[in-house]
Amino acid sequence: MKKFWNLFLIAAMLLAAVPVVAAAPPPQDGGQDYVVVADDWLSKLSDKFLGDVLAYPAITYYTNQKNAEDDSYAQITDSDVIEVGWKIYIPSSEEAQAYFAGQTTTAGAMGGETIKIGGFGPLSAPGSYQGGTEMRQAAELAVDEINAAGGVLGRQVELIFGDTEGLPERGTAVTERLITQEGVVALTGEYHSGVALAELEVAHKYGIPVVFAEPWADEVTGSGYDEIFRVAPSIEFYSSIASNYIAEVGWDKIVFVTEDTDYGRLQGEGWVEQLEALGITDVEVIYADPATEDFTPILQRIAQDPPDMLGGVITGIGNSRMLRQACELGLAPTAQTAYYATTDSQYPEFWETVGDCGQYAFFTYVGLPKSLWNENTEAFMATYEERYGQVPGGVAMEAYDSVYVLLKAMEQAGSTDAQAVIDALEDIEHTGVLGKIWFEYDSKNPVPADQPAWMWHQWLTPNVFILQYTEAGQSVDEAAVTYPAERATGSLYTSP
Amino acid sequence: MEYFLSLTITGLVMGIIYALMALGLTLIFSILGVINFAHGEFYMLGGYMSYFILAVVAGLNPFVAVAVGGLIIALIGLIFELGFLRPMHLGHIERPAEYAILITFGLSFFLQNLALATFGPYPHRPPSFFEGSVDLGIIRIGADRLTASLLALALLAVLLLIINRTWIGKALQAVSQNKDATAIVGINPLRMNTLAFGMGVGLAALSGALLAPSFSITPDVGAVPSIRSYIIIVLGGMGSIPGSILGGLLIGLVESFGAGYFPDPSRALNYKMVFGLVIFALILLFRPRGLFGRREA
Repeated sequence: MKKFWNLFLIAAMLLAAVPVVAAAPPPQDGGQDYVVVADDWLSKLSDKFLGDVLAYPAITYYTNQKNAEDDSYAQITDSDVIEVGWKIYIPSSEEAQAYFAGQTTTAGAMGGETIKIGGFGPLSAPGSYQGGTEMRQAAELAVDEINAAGGVLGRQVELIFGDTEGLPERGTAVTERLITQEGVVALTGEYHSGVALAELEVAHKYGIPVVFAEPWADEVTGSGYDEIFRVAPSIEFYSSIASNYIAEVGWDKIVFVTEDTDYGRLQGEGWVEQLEALGITDVEVIYADPATEDFTPILQRIAQDPPDMLGGVITGIGNSRMLRQACELGLAPTAQTAYYATTDSQYPEFWETVGDCGQYAFFTYVGLPKSLWNENTEAFMATYEERYGQVPGGVAMEAYDSVYVLLKAMEQAGSTDAQAVIDALEDIEHTGVLGKIWFEYDSKNPVPADQPAWMWHQWLTPNVFILQYTEAGQSVDEAAVTYPAERATGSLYTSP
Repeated sequence: MEYFLSLTITGLVMGIIYALMALGLTLIFSILGVINFAHGEFYMLGGYMSYFILAVVAGLNPFVAVAVGGLIIALIGLIFELGFLRPMHLGHIERPAEYAILITFGLSFFLQNLALATFGPYPHRPPSFFEGSVDLGIIRIGADRLTASLLALALLAVLLLIINRTWIGKALQAVSQNKDATAIVGINPLRMNTLAFGMGVGLAALSGALLAPSFSITPDVGAVPSIRSYIIIVLGGMGSIPGSILGGLLIGLVESFGAGYFPDPSRALNYKMVFGLVIFALILLFRPRGLFGRREA
């Protein structure tokens, strides 16, 4: 008897299940209205009706479109929140496909919803999270200011910032998620070149415009993609400032210890080539893991035949470690050997970590020294410091200006349509905290054959300077601008 | 010759500190039978602790801050052992070996991200023990680093005395050899577990605090030292105290000579850790249980 009951129960359960399976409609030919019931969520519905869990933005979009004409439809402001009893519109497969094919061309019509833009950068190890954090803070500040002033196209802007951890594969995943799941209409940020090179491929695939704030690899804009713009200098331009400076001072024997990453290698190779062209051939490049704690053995080796200039090109904590160890060893900065540090020397923690060893160190600075500030720079520096309790560096300036450039282009385009934003970016002229930003070479004015490919969609006059701390404890604002000569505030080089 | 001697000094100075940190890991392994994957994070916390103690109590002697920091982290270690590792030894956990790996790995991620959220991403450095460098004739060496090394040497000596001459030390050794037998003679192995974990992470914290003025601290600063410690304890023989000390010194010297003599200078620094790994592989090849490893019973 028990067996019979078991069989009966199984049969009853199967019968109950069959109508459900049969009722689950195949991908629709025409859209349909649907009333939300308990335990529904959008990705579940998109899987059920459209056969794809990731197709839910299409439901959100079409429901909001219907809502604009007929308020019996719900308005979905957050795709993660739907309520029981809401009437929503499930598009047909064709409608969903049409939405995704032209997602960005129609997104501009989504009245009322916030405009989502994506940010990316390293917020945790092994990425350079100091730079990433500063980048995110500056971008958030820019978005908040723009929202307080009325937003863009009459709508508020939401910045969704993804942590790329300094890893190219994370960059790809974050960009994919921002575009396909968060539905961002444009992207900005990034610190690491290797990660940017992965991200730009994803952005290109979906046709989403990107204004890169800090990656320097020539290949970023050298990709020649319509979607890619850059406010940061290219590595060739950046390295050339130090090379020209070294030639100007007249040092002959140079040793660089650079981090073994794309950032370090691109610079190392660039310097060897550029310095050779300037007649300086005694240049040695030593590669190091950026997490190296103790540089002493290699510094002892270098000290066997001290160079005129020692460069420690290690981002993050390695910058101060190497400088301090070279100083403790009595190798540099000394009257015989000058010391070239990384751009991270601009942060206030530099002095806490190197002590008096930082005096006479010089470094390349991407940003605007105080002597060249405009009123936007002054306002930005004051607001940032007040909000975050930290003096912002060049990375923050670039990230802040990148957001403004991007959103100003969107406003000028009159739409969030990707192509319209790209066209507007090609025509943009924006005076930001870094000065006037524009992109010289674009689809109407292609890069001349005799110029390098990275000039495409590139701001050609980023602010790159050589600064030197002539006194211990100086802030970056007080450091002497030593090069280029026409904008210098101090002597070319002050020797210990 | 001077160059050789200067590299030897650099290697020994670092090797002593490596040994101190590895000793903590070995103590935990030999008593609890657990590899502490969060060892590097306790190293990091030791550095932050001494930094913040000195920032809050102005004018405090940096040595006091190091000691207090080490003690606080040791206490945190005791609490962690009582809460998360003791259930394993009481038989409350179904698969203790996997549990120990997961719980210490989890702790490692937790502490690193907690530090990032609490202390921020920027590097910090506590004030120096002594400013400037000491000229030893053949080499100038940072006063902070030399101080850290001498203190580490003193700590190693004290620890060896405790382990070999005191009742607690002998009890710890007994537990590492046979838990059941020690329980029969009246030593509580559970208490020894807690004590060993506290001492182990306290040693990691002391290493971190001693090196913080030389190397500065960020939330991920423990990653390299912890990997190096795993190498050292396997090299020295899992659970062997003299093995850890010798292993630490050996790795310190090999790293120093490797960076100093490798024919291609552009690779010399990059391969620093690799030189240690080569020695590690060679020793394991000819002596699979490490320098001082016990033969499996």
